Amino acid sequence: MNPTDIIRAVQENIARVIKGKPQVIEMSLVALLARGHLLLEDVPGVGKTTLAHSLARSLDCSFKRIQFTSDLLPSDIVGVSIFNRQKQAFEFMPGPIFANIVLADEINRTTPKTQSSLLEAMSEAQISFDNKTYPLNQPFMVIATQNPAEYHGTFPLPESQLDRFLMRLRIGYPSAEEEKKVLDRPQSLHPAEELQPLLTAQDVLLLQKRVDHVLMEESITDYLLAIVQSTRQSDLLSLGVSTRGALALSRAAKALALVRGRTYCLPDDIKELAPIVLSHRIMVARAQGLSQRSFEQAERIIQDLIDTIPVPV
Amino acid sequence: MPFDQALRFASIWLAAISFIGLTLGAGLPEWLAVLTGAALIVAFVRNGGSKLAERFATVPSISPGGWNFLVIAGFLGFWVDLLWISGELLPAGIHFLMVLMIIKLFNLKLRRDYLHLYAISLVAILTSGSLTTDLWYLPIFLLYLLAAVWTLLLFQLTKHPEEIGMLTPPAPLWAPLHPSSGHVTPQFFWLANGLALATFGLTLAIFFAIPRVSAGFYQKGFGENIRTSGFSETVNLGEIGPVKRDPSVVMRVELSDGAPREAGGLYLRGVAFDQYDGKTWINRLNHRRAVSEDGMGRFVLRGDRSHQPSPPGETIRQNILLEPLDTPVLFAAPFIEAVSGKFPGVQSDQSGSVYLPFPSASRIEYSVRSRSNPVLPADLSPEPDRYPESFTRHFLQSPAQSKRIAALAEDITQTQRTAYEKANAIQSFLIHNFRYSLDAPLAELDHPLEEFLFTRKTGYCEHYATAMVMMLRAVDIPARLVTGFHATEWNEYGNYYVVRQQDAHAWVEVHLPHSGWITMDPTPPSIDSVTSGSPAWIALGRMMDTVRLQWSRFFVQYSAADQLAVVRELKAGSTSARNKAFDSIGALFSPLLAMFGGMTEYASKGTLQFAMELLGILLIGLTILWLGIKRPWSTGMVSKKTNRDEQAITQLYGRMVKHLAGEGIAKPPSTGPLEFVRIAQAKWNEANSAVASITELYCRARFGQTPPTSDELTIAEDQLRRLMVLNKP
Repeated sequence: MNPTDIIRAVQENIARVIKGKPQVIEMSLVALLARGHLLLEDVPGVGKTTLAHSLARSLDCSFKRIQFTSDLLPSDIVGVSIFNRQKQAFEFMPGPIFANIVLADEINRTTPKTQSSLLEAMSEAQISFDNKTYPLNQPFMVIATQNPAEYHGTFPLPESQLDRFLMRLRIGYPSAEEEKKVLDRPQSLHPAEELQPLLTAQDVLLLQKRVDHVLMEESITDYLLAIVQSTRQSDLLSLGVSTRGALALSRAAKALALVRGRTYCLPDDIKELAPIVLSHRIMVARAQGLSQRSFEQAERIIQDLIDTIPVPV
Repeated sequence: MPFDQALRFASIWLAAISFIGLTLGAGLPEWLAVLTGAALIVAFVRNGGSKLAERFATVPSISPGGWNFLVIAGFLGFWVDLLWISGELLPAGIHFLMVLMIIKLFNLKLRRDYLHLYAISLVAILTSGSLTTDLWYLPIFLLYLLAAVWTLLLFQLTKHPEEIGMLTPPAPLWAPLHPSSGHVTPQFFWLANGLALATFGLTLAIFFAIPRVSAGFYQKGFGENIRTSGFSETVNLGEIGPVKRDPSVVMRVELSDGAPREAGGLYLRGVAFDQYDGKTWINRLNHRRAVSEDGMGRFVLRGDRSHQPSPPGETIRQNILLEPLDTPVLFAAPFIEAVSGKFPGVQSDQSGSVYLPFPSASRIEYSVRSRSNPVLPADLSPEPDRYPESFTRHFLQSPAQSKRIAALAEDITQTQRTAYEKANAIQSFLIHNFRYSLDAPLAELDHPLEEFLFTRKTGYCEHYATAMVMMLRAVDIPARLVTGFHATEWNEYGNYYVVRQQDAHAWVEVHLPHSGWITMDPTPPSIDSVTSGSPAWIALGRMMDTVRLQWSRFFVQYSAADQLAVVRELKAGSTSARNKAFDSIGALFSPLLAMFGGMTEYASKGTLQFAMELLGILLIGLTILWLGIKRPWSTGMVSKKTNRDEQAITQLYGRMVKHLAGEGIAKPPSTGPLEFVRIAQAKWNEANSAVASITELYCRARFGQTPPTSDELTIAEDQLRRLMVLNKP
């Protein structure tokens, strides 16, 4: 079975639970294959947790969920040392972060101290505790959610930490038709529990390796860099995309090409990914008015910039 | 390049090489050469796959019956040619072969036709091989071998698996290509060339090992012997002059010590003359008798000086490679003691000249041992001259009208006492008081010698020599005129003298009572040297001449005897056989190395002209290299960014986008290719399949670096054509 078919099967598997959102499912797979982390920003109750859960189920990977609250401590994520009476020694009890897919629910509700302990783990793929280093499971992917509607009593993530996420997605409400299908479905507590795993963790690692071999032609790299450059020069933005952002876009484009069954990137890949990969890495200039909806605004600015840049022929 | 197209190219290439070989070897009549050349060019263009080819393809073709008629007409023409025009089998056959080739070139449809073309090419290259022994045949043959390996490989590879027999279903040439499974990849390219190289190596081994007869059977019928003058029984004064501007090589002379003679060059004696009638020299002592062989293949001369004590003169051993001449004279440095070579017999006359029984039709090689006569001390003291009557009759003869000459000779020599001193005086008088010129029309005059001595005072070797002989005879010193060659051009790459027609010369032999015949040359060195041009070109010419000599020696003249020698040495278990084999190869290339050395030495002198010439050669070489690298076989490289197929599909895509823009579906510059497919689909659903598939091919080639196959390209072109005629609702 070739990788394209496997990936399509996984998408269809997840689509049995998440109705009417094929793009979101596709992008979450892209994030997984690009070894990235996902930030879902949407109102409660549109299926953020279900998406993360069903992804983990489809992959035969371990899945942990951490509900972030204001009194959550770093040890609640990383783990804790407990004195073992039999052995007369301290013993490390791994926290929920020792899983393949970790859902960090409402990440902006906890203190920056706890947030940063998670974000360190995300970028290093390991944690240090009591002068010891523990590697995290591979593949490792964090799906964090945040609620844009309710900012009361939250600690918004700074731009520098948002940078750690490969892409920021919105799920959005399903269409009336799709929503009806959800309601018609026999009610169960955990719909994701019914899914059958299609891939092992090992398969995922192989697919991630395959992404590295996807070809990005020189002119497409130039096109990508032209987009990144335009964000740095735009008057509408006070902070452009970093080199890490360009790297993320390149990796995501390769992963998307693989997901779509190609061995090479197209300009379309870049064009499609740029808003969701870049929009949380920029700062909208004050003059544009800092509205609550800065997310949509950033996406729109990126989209406008792309439309000014000619595609390589 | 797909296999079937490559096959067509290789086949025409094969035909072209054999045609070139035949043209160079046989000298086709101009009209036939031009016709065949044109047919080859047209065939190349027709199979080129370009726009031009399409136009040619529409030229109405002749039906098979028509072709058969043409072949029959050609055959009748062959008989007419054989009986009335050429009158000989070989030329008529060659002409017929070329006519057949032209017909086949225009009629390449079935696989059978290809086989016919190969057969014609083979016959042509074999014919040209039997017609020549020249060096140019080597590159032609190598090219032919390369082309043949390519064609046969491709011919096998394009064969359909189900086709077993030769008569395969007709694969029409101008129809869209039937799917050919393979392409000429770099691996294939190197494999084919490697095979050709291996074949050549094997050929070389067989050449040296298999028993053989000879090469160049028909060479005699076509190669004209070089026309010489001055070596027959009678020589008119002024006969040598006209050939003094002819640079064709007459012989090459190797000396045993491998080094050139010090100043003065080497005199190669041909014929001596004793009688002069005022206009013409005649050799009266022309009675030839066979020279006996000494049992070791050497012909030892007991010359006319057997009655004298043989003085220890300088011995010169020479190895001479003589081109086919129209004279049987064997040239060598004076005076020949022994000759050895591969000839049945040798004759000599009383003047010491050596002849073959008849002029050789092919190049011959012989070795000579000569001994020059030094001037003995006895001749330096005055003593009354005593000569036998037979001697004075021959060598003191002079025509009646030479009173003034005698007076002049007396005048010059009156203070000298010995014959040697007198001869020297006359020689220096001639050298210093006369001007050398080839533009001296003395031959038409009644008294050319008087004209030369007293009026014009310009002339060339014959006049000088004749004048000196006549003046010597006037003062009773026996002398004779000798014709031959004066070798001065030393080839430093092959270490031998190159002797050309223009080196033809006449000089004097003086008889001294004790020393015998000694050589004297009253001709001053010529000022207007015929060889001119830049030193680098002369060096290149000499190098080429060396290669030609080695070619002749090691390949053309490689005979059964040489072969036996090799086998014997192999048997003896010595390594020298191997060395010999390598030497013969090495000898071909050593001049290149030598020239390189010479070039650097020359370059150190730093002349601008040399730099320019070297730059030019370098540029040509680089251009060839660049063309070679740039051509189709580089398509297989993944890292190569642009190639023909990719450009083709990109252009096709551009045409499609342009056409859609004309239909009102414009592509904004910031639209990606897939995005554009969706736009086009939304606006014009019928066009969707064509647009989608062309776009896919384009994306794959442009961004995925997997260019489309020619089939896909053909289909895409077809789709675009249909898209263009489709009307947008």
